[in-house]
Amino acid sequence: MVEIQESVRSRTVYILQTGSKDVNNSIMELLVMAYACKTSSARNIIGVIPYLPYSKQSKMRKRGCIVSKLLAKMMCKAGLTHIITMDLHQKEIQGFFDCPVDNLRASPFLLNYIVEQIPDYRNSVIVAKDPASCKRATSYAERLRVGIAVIHGEAKTRFDDDYEDADEDGDDGRTSPPPLPARQQGRLHSSVSMSSFMERSEPGAEPGPVTAAAAAAAALRRGRPRLRSAASVCFGEVDPSRIMSVGVTGVPMQAAKEKPPISVVGDVGGRIAIMVDDMIDDVRSFVAAAEMLKERGAYKIYVMATHGLLSADAPRLIEESAIDEVVVTNTVPHDVQKIHCHKIKTVDVSILLSEAIRRLHNKESLSYLFRNITMED
Amino acid sequence: MPNIKVFSGSSHPDFAAKVVDRLGIDLGRVVTKKFSNLETCVEIGESVRGEDVYIVQSGCGEINDNLMELLIMINACKIASAARVTAVVPCFPYARQDKKDKSRAPVSAKLVANMLTAAGMDHIITMDLHASQIQGFFDLPVDNLYAEPAVLKWIKENISEWKTSIIVSPDAGGAKRVTSIADSLKVDFALIHKERKKANEVSDMVLVGNVTDRVAILVDDMADTCGTIVKAADKLKEAGATKVYAILTHGIFSGPAIARINGACFEAVVATNTIPQDEHMIQCDKIRCIDVAMIFAEALRRTHNGESVSYLFANVPY
Repeated sequence: MVEIQESVRSRTVYILQTGSKDVNNSIMELLVMAYACKTSSARNIIGVIPYLPYSKQSKMRKRGCIVSKLLAKMMCKAGLTHIITMDLHQKEIQGFFDCPVDNLRASPFLLNYIVEQIPDYRNSVIVAKDPASCKRATSYAERLRVGIAVIHGEAKTRFDDDYEDADEDGDDGRTSPPPLPARQQGRLHSSVSMSSFMERSEPGAEPGPVTAAAAAAAALRRGRPRLRSAASVCFGEVDPSRIMSVGVTGVPMQAAKEKPPISVVGDVGGRIAIMVDDMIDDVRSFVAAAEMLKERGAYKIYVMATHGLLSADAPRLIEESAIDEVVVTNTVPHDVQKIHCHKIKTVDVSILLSEAIRRLHNKESLSYLFRNITMED
Repeated sequence: MPNIKVFSGSSHPDFAAKVVDRLGIDLGRVVTKKFSNLETCVEIGESVRGEDVYIVQSGCGEINDNLMELLIMINACKIASAARVTAVVPCFPYARQDKKDKSRAPVSAKLVANMLTAAGMDHIITMDLHASQIQGFFDLPVDNLYAEPAVLKWIKENISEWKTSIIVSPDAGGAKRVTSIADSLKVDFALIHKERKKANEVSDMVLVGNVTDRVAILVDDMADTCGTIVKAADKLKEAGATKVYAILTHGIFSGPAIARINGACFEAVVATNTIPQDEHMIQCDKIRCIDVAMIFAEALRRTHNGESVSYLFANVPY
């Protein structure tokens, strides 16, 4: 239940809400507040959401939902006319909204922390915890003028960003054999051989000599010579061997992708390793990465992130790990976690948000706030 | 196949011909022309009432003309009572402008998505979107096909040393794509990161990883002027790579690209035919082509028959 206790008619309203522990309730509260202001004739309703929840679910995996898009729609529908947020997990999320979004960056604050609090930071190397965060790592490395390294391969975590789960759709009875290439063959008799071939090459079938032979035979029956000649006609003088058609011969079933054992690409020996990411939630991957970095000779390990969610038993894991310090901003409350773990340090970014609100309200340009931001960040 | 009509826009008729050939149907009759004031005019030459309509148009060549033509074709079919209009866009135009990466930058990919939706499109089939988040720019189903299985097949069939090769990303943003391929081939990866001052302009390059005495395979989703991949290739040679290949899903090759590739140390530059490669292949010996029309034909057929398309996400159709 929300009650707005003063008049908002024709006013510009700023609603500050961040994705905290009880994420669904905070979203619902934001939506209800926004809608309450809308129906009370507020002129502009600006959502200040330092940490936008659900932003990890920003792309479609299998038949999954793009929750981030759904959230964007809901917020626009509830009446928000402008969003101020910070370090979106993917910058493309900005395009999910039908209203202006200002995506502020915390990196200048974190960089400032590195320069002021880490003596000898010039001997550091910025480490991307996984290949997906390489871009962010390079943006830090560029501004600090230090090198980067990338960690790849790890134990699977809850928010693993891959589309690699096994799929069982191959035989749900809704796959019909493909038709023959048109106009190339008498369709009647060879359709039988086609369908039998298709059965053999369905998922689960082993690519063996039989399949290969069948493929070759089927290719012949499908009139491959004519296909070739057609190709060479439309490609002019180009040698047809330079074109690989994926339709003509078979591709073996790919084994389900498995991540290789954890490894580091790049040199970290005798350096301070600084892992940067946009959020720290489940810390197990960070802990595993830190162990790897220690093994490779990094003498100090820092973790920097904008959003410190630090859920579950993260404080304990950090306390016991090889990580020397975890630096996060105060976009998400994490006081409880700090009590349990003295390695967690906080950088205050509220001044950035208040400056953004001030400039927005006075109709000034925000680009001053982005002066030290690179394209990759 | 009943109740299906496939029309081709003027951007890539060859691709559309291959798709319908595979489906065993004829291409729908459509005339596209320009008025003298350069407005696009489209005449759909056959009935589409109650039909399942597919329009094949790629984002290549005269991008804006082709986009406008696609919008007009979609709208023409929609108002002529087509049951469903699906755009088949092998290379999605404006996909690189997908985020506001500096002040006042437009998110043009979202604009294009809105325009297509407004024109009356019900479904879109495309390949290797520059960022998969573009799927979320639409309020309707998007089938984003992957070229990766075809790329893996090409590597295994054409690079004899693939087992000891190293997959290299020419920029930090492509690291994820590259590790996915490296994992499938069970080989190592490296990446090149750079300080870029302006778009389409590269400066200092730093190689992370070891490529000495190995075959380096550069992988990216698209290459336009090829400045980045050519400099990356030089860097790799300098670092001791024996051979350098480049594999791209969308080989746009505009401006100085062909001349640059001709002068660079590539063993081969491989691109799929989401963008017509015939001209490029005549002008440059090093360019090889992967024909992915069959993947689209299969996606189209499965969509029309209401079958699952997920099979295609892991496999090239036989």
